[in-house]
Amino acid sequence: MAKKKKYAMVIDINRCIGCKACMTSCKAENDVPLGVFRNHVRELEKGIYPNMKKIFLPVLCNHCDKPACKAALPEGYEDAITKRDDGIVVWDEAKCKGKVAEAAIEGCPYSNAFMHPQKNVFQKCDYCVHRVDAGLQPACVSTCIGGARIFGDVNDSTSDVFKYMATHSTHVLKPEEGTTPNTYYVALDRITAERLEGSQQLPPTDATEIAVENFSG
Amino acid sequence: MQLKRRKFIQLGSAAGAALTVGSQFGMKAKAAALMELKQTGSASPTGKKNQEIPYTCLTCNIEDGGIAYVEDGRIRRLEGNPNHPGNRGKLCAKGNAGHLHVYDPTRILNPLKRIGPRGSGKWKRISWDEALSEVAGKIQGAMDIDPMSIMFQYGRNRTHGLVYRFMNALGSGTVNNHTSICECNKKVAMEHAWGPDIETPDFAHTKYILNFGSNLAEAAYFHNPYIQRLIDGKVENKAKLVTFDPRMTNTGAISDEWVPLKPATDGIVALAMCNVILQEGLADTEFIRKYTNVTAHQLAEHLKQFSPEFAEKESGVSADTIRRIAIEFATAGPATTYTYRGSSMHQNGVYTEKATMMLNVVTGNIEKRGGFNLPRGLGFGGGPGPHPPKPPHSILKYPPEYPLASHHVSHHVSHSILEGRQKINVFMLYCHNPLYTQPDGDTWKELLSSEKHIPYSVSFSINMDSSTEYADIILPDTTFLERWDPESMPSSALGWVGLRQPVIKPLGNAKAFRDTIYELAQKIDPDGKRGVKKYFSYGSAESYVKNQLEATPGLKAAGGFKLLKKYGVWPFYDKKKEDNFKFGAHEEALSESDLAGTTLEGRTLMKGGKSVGLMVDGKAVRGFGTPSRTFQVNVPEWEHYGFEPMPHYEPIEDHKRMKSDELLLSTYKPNVHTQSRTPNLKWLQELHHRNPAWINSETAKARGIGDDELIRITSPIGYMVTKARVTEAIHPQVVAIATSSGMTNKATVGNYGGTKDPDIVQNTWWDDTGVHPNQIIPVSTDPIGGGMGWFDTVITVTKAKAGDKYGDTHSDRGAARKAFEKALSKATKVRDSGDAHNTTAKTNVRDERHTEVGGVFGTTAKLRDFEDPHNTTA
Ligand code: SF4
Ligand code: SF4
Ligand code: SF4
Repeated sequence: MAKKKKYAMVIDINRCIGCKACMTSCKAENDVPLGVFRNHVRELEKGIYPNMKKIFLPVLCNHCDKPACKAALPEGYEDAITKRDDGIVVWDEAKCKGKVAEAAIEGCPYSNAFMHPQKNVFQKCDYCVHRVDAGLQPACVSTCIGGARIFGDVNDSTSDVFKYMATHSTHVLKPEEGTTPNTYYVALDRITAERLEGSQQLPPTDATEIAVENFSG
Repeated sequence: MQLKRRKFIQLGSAAGAALTVGSQFGMKAKAAALMELKQTGSASPTGKKNQEIPYTCLTCNIEDGGIAYVEDGRIRRLEGNPNHPGNRGKLCAKGNAGHLHVYDPTRILNPLKRIGPRGSGKWKRISWDEALSEVAGKIQGAMDIDPMSIMFQYGRNRTHGLVYRFMNALGSGTVNNHTSICECNKKVAMEHAWGPDIETPDFAHTKYILNFGSNLAEAAYFHNPYIQRLIDGKVENKAKLVTFDPRMTNTGAISDEWVPLKPATDGIVALAMCNVILQEGLADTEFIRKYTNVTAHQLAEHLKQFSPEFAEKESGVSADTIRRIAIEFATAGPATTYTYRGSSMHQNGVYTEKATMMLNVVTGNIEKRGGFNLPRGLGFGGGPGPHPPKPPHSILKYPPEYPLASHHVSHHVSHSILEGRQKINVFMLYCHNPLYTQPDGDTWKELLSSEKHIPYSVSFSINMDSSTEYADIILPDTTFLERWDPESMPSSALGWVGLRQPVIKPLGNAKAFRDTIYELAQKIDPDGKRGVKKYFSYGSAESYVKNQLEATPGLKAAGGFKLLKKYGVWPFYDKKKEDNFKFGAHEEALSESDLAGTTLEGRTLMKGGKSVGLMVDGKAVRGFGTPSRTFQVNVPEWEHYGFEPMPHYEPIEDHKRMKSDELLLSTYKPNVHTQSRTPNLKWLQELHHRNPAWINSETAKARGIGDDELIRITSPIGYMVTKARVTEAIHPQVVAIATSSGMTNKATVGNYGGTKDPDIVQNTWWDDTGVHPNQIIPVSTDPIGGGMGWFDTVITVTKAKAGDKYGDTHSDRGAARKAFEKALSKATKVRDSGDAHNTTAKTNVRDERHTEVGGVFGTTAKLRDFEDPHNTTA
């Protein structure tokens, strides 16, 4: 018996070159307005010249098993966000708007959700659900130049993502939040080690570098 | 991660099939339950069916393959072409935004005629008939006076011969490119050393990569295809990557070691390493003996002068580090270097490029798995005949004082015309924005503003840019998604040819350059009496490109032009083939027929006055594409013109004289932009719009400069006021500024027929678009290669002065002129301000330069029969 599908993404920090193809492909695929992003590639710099380190950390919705965005929905609006059977966390544009959307956005401990500036509705990465349902990889995975993003059904032992997870050790961001993310990282310890030693987010030359977050995973 | 890719489908029926909607480009679906998701395919969020049309990207110049998804006549999305041997289904950040060029709000969609003074931004729309008649009339007038006074200045020209066909037909050799501000020093060095002008390292199977100043993770040739393989090599093959660069680029970031060094000293570091490798007995002396024109002993003796200690003094890299890395490189197993503009676009760039190549020579890492290899590409033909005869070369194109500069000296042209070196009557500008991308941009502004020097000026452009603003007439071009071109690039060991085809009809009244030129030729020569028309009798742009591509050996049998229209590229990517690729083209034995009629000169086999092979231990082999068929460690042509023929390091004079408070200015291209063509692409501009100057924290502190504070940068020709980005990621003697920001043209959204994108109108959240540095960068030139010394400018940096405003730039005309004269003073001969017609500019590289049809660039002997000295790269 084939197990139920469960989609997950692995991001291998060792393969990420910080090229941001994932960011522009996402903008294009999902018509994401200026000023907001469904995915980011954060750049972290650390060290004193010439002993410098610079590392890239791609972030996007974790499609949590216990989505905190959903948990934050006001009473009566519980179905504005749904965790699909295959694990993808989606929203209902007709319901997840205004104050309801604000609560959900506030609820995400990763700051991965945002308001659409014109439509005033909830937005975030949806693992390109329209592509996945059509048998295609998410846009950012399809174009990832470093081959850093691996996506698929973790319950299928023949899938690339299953094999990658079986052969690499993975971590998630902020496990202490208890949301049980499905976006996994290889070599996240490189980032967290940098963070622990006080690395600094680059100044805002880029939109990707505006928010500084505490990664404690 | 190894993606499973679709096999080359059996051709025949499929090749002839009409374009169908569906996922013809994706991987073959497996049994439903086990189905792996496909890499590419259309699934519009609207649920509507999309047309899928393959194309070749031209956002940058790597020519990756893509698929356009067209919904209701509009390009919804671009994806990589999974069958493409170069980019394997992936596009970079720029490529993913490529269709924004089509919908650029400053696009020009009608011919425009200037109605105010030059550069005033006052235009009126005219019809194509009016526009072409006017331009044809001016060209006819100039032809009657002197055809050489018709000048064509191009930049990113991918017409593969059309510009030359047109200019040759008019009888003018006054054609200028832009390679001298790109990477021509690298090209010239490589051409003399081994034939072709670029390498294709086998990054995926190497163990060690020494990168001198190239930024493959963000730009460089071939960013997308190469970095994919480099990451495979690093992660799967555990290759070590070491980057020498004064700035920590993203390539520095992913390197195992980042070694900052003083600019323009890569050559001495490389030569010191070669010295160590020979002294330690780690050299591949057999390779040197068999395939070079020196002995290992001669080379070892010659290299002794380049000690690691001397290299340390020059570069700041410790002698210990140089020794250690040299030994690691020589003992790691297969290893390769990589370079691009960073190390070669200095005044000593040709020597530097040869020096870094030498690391591969002394370790025998040439033409082997995991090594530094010859570029592979499939060529194509020169288009339908008849072909116009070649007019004389212009003195602007091949100035005699640079006899080895086979790729022109484009950055001297503005000064040369202003001083009256050649008279111009009609100036045409295509895919180039010299006022912005050339050094000393204000001299170009002076030239383009001067009706005395440029009486009539035409720009073929897709949008309004800083130089097009100074045209008298603008003929609106189409974007790369609305036109035909053949393409081929050595971006994978598996050579390929690709097709660029229109994926939608041109927007508005824009017309593809190919069609404009065709129609212009008819207008210039309606009755055929001028002898122009006969070269423009082939009909459509499509038939021209079809003719070119069908000359590619093997393509016709595989499905021909139809196949390319359907799949975009041929042959398809084949991982197994690439992983098991057989290198060693130089060792390939000559066949009986190759050998027939050859004579021996030394070790070189000659036939019909051309070198065709090399004798190695009694065996006749192909060797390299040089006059001696060896890898020329010693370049006799250089000696002939008074340059050092053997591996050499030439310190930059200005750098020797630097005062303690002086710094060096470096510029760079960030990962989401090209040099000048992408500032209107909203998703790219959002990611990178301002370009503060990177300055080391110690250097900043010594000058009382804080992060994001206003600074003044003063060069020998002017100053600019910008902001500081105080960082640890740069050499303390270097300041680096991105060149992709600071466009100052007056174009505003929707002015010329382009559409207003409500997203741009409502959601643009930045107003700082940076300050462009090129106006303060003086002309300086490598006397061998003729390339611009981009990263050699000595500057001072201070806090901004009272009254300085962000964005102020000033350049001094007299000082700019002086800098140009200084560059000239280092050239080979005192130049004669000659008459363009008498120039017989000629070198053995220039006139024999070619890209072979089929096989390895530079090792086989067939010629591509059109003149385009810029045909493989850049
Ligand atoms: S990452 Fe945030 S938005 Fe995404 S599912 Fe988890 S809680 Fe919700
Ligand atoms: S596309 Fe891939 S390699 Fe590039 S920044 Fe995104 S995750 Fe990293
Ligand atoms: S690397 Fe160049 S050719 Fe390739 S996708 Fe990017 S812009 Fe296009």
